[in-house]
Amino acid sequence: MSTLEIVCDVIGILLIILGLIIYLFQIIGLFKYKYILNRMHAAGMGDTLGLFLGLLGIILLCGLTFTSLKLGLVVLFLWFSSPTSSHLISKLEVCTNEEVGEHAEIQIDKEEDMQ
Amino acid sequence: MTEFVSSFLTVILIILAVMVLLCLVRCVMGPRVTDRIVCVNMIGTLVVFMIAILAIKLEEGYLADICVIYAMISFLAVVVLCKVYLGVYLDRKNREFAALENDAEDLENVESIGNAEAVNATMNKETKEGSENVNA
Repeated sequence: MSTLEIVCDVIGILLIILGLIIYLFQIIGLFKYKYILNRMHAAGMGDTLGLFLGLLGIILLCGLTFTSLKLGLVVLFLWFSSPTSSHLISKLEVCTNEEVGEHAEIQIDKEEDMQ
Repeated sequence: MTEFVSSFLTVILIILAVMVLLCLVRCVMGPRVTDRIVCVNMIGTLVVFMIAILAIKLEEGYLADICVIYAMISFLAVVVLCKVYLGVYLDRKNREFAALENDAEDLENVESIGNAEAVNATMNKETKEGSENVNA
């Protein structure tokens, strides 16, 4: 086992642990915040940064193969899909919650947004 | 894959499983439907990570394909759930609005019927008085 492989393994393990810490923060934020729009902030952080760090660590562990290319594709896809789903969920919340004004300032016209 | 890395990945998998359980608890606790959708989205991301770890722990390349497909289906689930719940909410709102409008129309009808009865009564009185006068 060469030194390069050992260095790659160590960096990969560190990155996976870092991603796990980000996930831990995500869970803490999910239980700590009271309102859904605050909670969504923590969830979006875990979806993008946590998964990126974790999969980067996995790619370093397994080396440059076709599998690691597919894992990179997963990261790319989730970076597009996670903000989109967050936008959809917040739109659903603003449209359906009657008391959203108590938690946040909403400046859009509700009726217009629904149509 | 050394023995140490393999056992390390097992520990990571166990921690991730505990996190999925915590997400599920939050999902059950959530007061509104949007909280639940956020938690389902997060469980999807965690499972993608778990499948990626399994792909290199078992050294099976095809699990990476499953990882891609799982990410896509999880995104599709969130989009469909959002659209469905928005549609259901707007449908209910429209129905309530229509019911309110029907009630208002009924009220107007009742008032107009009442007016007509009052007008009839006064007209009857006048005709009676008129006939009495004629009789006199």
